[in-house]
Amino acid sequence: MRGCAARLQKILGKIERERERERERERWIPKSQSCRKFSSDSKRRSYGRILILAPNSSRSSRFLLYGSSKLSRVSLTSFKSLPPLFVETPNAVHELTLARDIYEHAVVLSVKIEDQDAFERDFFQLKPYYTDARGRLPPSPQEYPILGLNLLRLLVQNRIAEFHTELELLSPNALENPCIKHAVELEQSFMEGAYNRVLSARQTVPHETYVYFMDLLAKTVRDEIAGCSEKAYDSVSIKDAKQMLLFSSDKEVLDYINEEHPEWEIKNGFVFFQRAKESAPCKEIPSLQLINQTLSYARELERIV
Amino acid sequence: MKEQQAAPSNSLSTTSPSTLQNLKDIAALIETGAYMREVRRIVRAIRWTIQLRKNLKASVLSAFLNFALVPGSEVHSRLSSYVPKEDEMEVDTATSATQSPSKHSLPEIEIYCYLVVLVFLIDQKRYSEAKACSSASIARLKNLNRRTVDVLASRLYFYYSLSYELTGDLAEIRGNLLALHRTATLRHDELGQETLLNLLLRNYLHYNLYDQAEKLRSKAPRFEAHSNQQFCRYLFYLGKIRTIQLEYTDAKESLLQAARKAPISALGFRVLCNKWAVIVRLLLGEIPERTVFMQKGMEKALRPYFELTNAVRIGDLELFKTVAEKFSSTFSSDRTNNLIVRLRHNVIRTGLRNISISYSKISLADVAKKLRLDSPNPIADAESIVSKAIRDGAIDATLDHANGWMVSKETGDIYSTNEPQIAFNSRIAFCLNMHNEAVRALRFPPNSHKEKESAEKRRERQQQEQELAKHIAEEDDDEF
Repeated sequence: MRGCAARLQKILGKIERERERERERERWIPKSQSCRKFSSDSKRRSYGRILILAPNSSRSSRFLLYGSSKLSRVSLTSFKSLPPLFVETPNAVHELTLARDIYEHAVVLSVKIEDQDAFERDFFQLKPYYTDARGRLPPSPQEYPILGLNLLRLLVQNRIAEFHTELELLSPNALENPCIKHAVELEQSFMEGAYNRVLSARQTVPHETYVYFMDLLAKTVRDEIAGCSEKAYDSVSIKDAKQMLLFSSDKEVLDYINEEHPEWEIKNGFVFFQRAKESAPCKEIPSLQLINQTLSYARELERIV
Repeated sequence: MKEQQAAPSNSLSTTSPSTLQNLKDIAALIETGAYMREVRRIVRAIRWTIQLRKNLKASVLSAFLNFALVPGSEVHSRLSSYVPKEDEMEVDTATSATQSPSKHSLPEIEIYCYLVVLVFLIDQKRYSEAKACSSASIARLKNLNRRTVDVLASRLYFYYSLSYELTGDLAEIRGNLLALHRTATLRHDELGQETLLNLLLRNYLHYNLYDQAEKLRSKAPRFEAHSNQQFCRYLFYLGKIRTIQLEYTDAKESLLQAARKAPISALGFRVLCNKWAVIVRLLLGEIPERTVFMQKGMEKALRPYFELTNAVRIGDLELFKTVAEKFSSTFSSDRTNNLIVRLRHNVIRTGLRNISISYSKISLADVAKKLRLDSPNPIADAESIVSKAIRDGAIDATLDHANGWMVSKETGDIYSTNEPQIAFNSRIAFCLNMHNEAVRALRFPPNSHKEKESAEKRRERQQQEQELAKHIAEEDDDEF
C-alpha cells in the first residue's frame, strides 16, 4: 500500500514539475479572468489546472498526461477503501478523495484529447464517488460541471432516454446549478426545434471543457436543420440555405449538399428539395386482407357464443 | 382441530376473546395447510389476518405467542421482547392455554408469529423495533426451504422492506433483497420472486435509479403472475421506468392496465397510476377525457393534473407556466416535475396545430406572437419550430422562406384512404383480446366442488379434461 502511495506521489510530483514549466510559459500567455479562480484550489488539483491554464499546450503532452493518469488509476486498484469494497481503513477519506480527484481529471483529460469512449469509461468509474460515496466525502466542486458534461455528451450522441435517466438522479438543487441547467435547456430547445437557441448557447458555456461538445452539437444541429428543411420547404435560395445551415460561403453549402444530400437539385441559384411521395387515396379495396380479418372475427365470435 | 374446541372456555377470561380466538383458528388453519401441503389454506389464513389487523393488541399478541410457541424457546423469548407487557395477569391466564396440545413448533407457525408481531409493530409505529424484528425473521427464513412457507415469506419480505422504508434506510437492504431474490429463484419460489422483484424495483425507484431498475427488470425471469396485487405493482413500476426512458406508448399501456387491475380499495395506488397515466398521455399528444379526472374519490388529488391538461389542450404557454408554478410543490412531491418540463414542447405543438387548422396562410411573425415565444429572435425560432413540427408530422403545412409564410395544406378526405379500416381492425382486435384474457384469468380452485376426491380420481379427471381440451383445439384448427 505504501509503495503505491509513493508512486502516486511521484506522478503528482511529475505533474507539479510540468506545472512549473507551464507557469513559465504562462507569463507569456495572457491569463483570463475565469482561470484565476482555480489557482486557489488544493495542491492535488494541479493536474487539471495545467490543462485549464494552458489550453494551448500541445496535443501530445495531453496524451502523455492521459497516459500517466491511466497509470495512477492502475495503482488505485490496491486501495481497499474504494468502491465497491468500501473497507473502513484509517485514511479512507483521504484515499477516496484522491481517487475521485484522479478520475475527475481523467474525465476532463478525455474531453481534452477528444475521446468520447474514454470519457464514458472514466465517467462511469467516477460516478460511484458521487452516488455511493456521497455520505463519506465532502462534495467536490467539480461534480456539477462533470455531470453537466456527461448530459451534454448524451445529447450529442442522441441518447435522449439515458439523458433523462441521468436527469432523474439529480436533486432539485442540482438542477439549479448553471452547468446542469445549461444542458437541460439545450435539450429543451433541441426538442422544440429552436435550433438558434442551441447555437447561441455556445457563447454562454459555463465551463471551457463544454466547448468541445458544443462544437459536436453544432454538427448534429446542422443535420437536423437539413432534415427539417427538406420536409418543410419546396425550395430555398442558396443564399438563404447558407444562412440556415450556418455556412459562411456558398461553396461550403454546395459541398455539404453534394456530400450529405445528393438528391437535392440546384437550379438557378435555388435548392429544390425532393418532396416525399404523399399517401395517395386508395383506389382498390385490399380484398385479401379484408377476407382474412373478417374470417378471424368470425372465428373469435364463434368461441364467445 | 382439538384446540378449537378447547379454546372457548379459556378465551372468556381474556379482554378480546374474538381476536385471540381468531388468531388461534388461523394457527390451526396454517397447521392443517402445512400438514396437507395446501398452500391455498395458508393464503386464506393471511387474508384473514389482515382483516384482524385493527384489533391486534399487545395483550392478545402475547397470549397468542404463549399459545403458539414453546415458552422459553429462543423464538418465543425474542418475539415476546418486542411486545410490551401491560398486565402480568393477562399473561398468566394466557399461559394456561399453552397446556392445550400445541407443543408443536412448526416452522410455518413460527414464521406466522413473526409476521403478526411485525404487522403489530408497524401499526404501532415502532419502526426501529420492526426493523430489528424483520431482520431476525429474514435471517430465520434463509434456513428454511419449505414450499408452504413461501406464501408467508413473501408477506414477510414485504413488511421487511416497508419497515426499512418507513425509517428511510431503504438503500441498506438492497443487497439482502438481491440475495433473497436469488435464493427464491433457485428454489422456484415464484411468489417470492415476484414480491422481491417488486420490492427491488421499488427500492431502486425510491432513489430514482431507473437505469439499474430497468437492467434488473429486463434480466429477471418472468412468468405468469401469481398475485394480482404484485402484478399491479409490477406494471406500475414498469410504466414509470418506460416513461422516464421515453417509451410513452408502452408506458401508457402498463400504467392504464395497472390502474384498471388494482382493487377498488387501493385508492392511493390508483390515484398515483392515474397521475402518471395522464402525463404520459399528454406527452403522447393525447388529451385524457374529463371522466378520468372525475373518478370517485380522485377529483381533489387529480385537480393539478386537470388544470395542466387544460393548459396543454389550449396550447397556451403562459397558462402552462402559471399552472406548473402554482402546483410545483404537488408535482415535486409526486416527482413528476421533470416530466412536466418535458411537456412544454407538447404545449407548443398543440398551439401550432390549432393555428395550422384555423389559418390557411399566416406569417411567421404572427405565429411567434400567438405562441408567445419569448426569445430574442422570435421569427427565426418560429420558423425552425414549425419546420420541425412539419417533419415530425404534427402539422401538415409548407413554409415559404422568402415571404415568411406558413401555408397550411388542405386536409384530405381521410375516408378515401385505408386509415378507417385499420383503426376499426385494431379496435376489434383489442376487444377480442380483452375477452380472451378475461377467460384465461378466470381461475378455479382445483377441487372446490369435489372436496373428497381421491388423488387417483383427480388424476383421471385431469387427464380427461386435457384430452377434451385437445379435441376442442383440434376442432378449432380443422374449421379453418
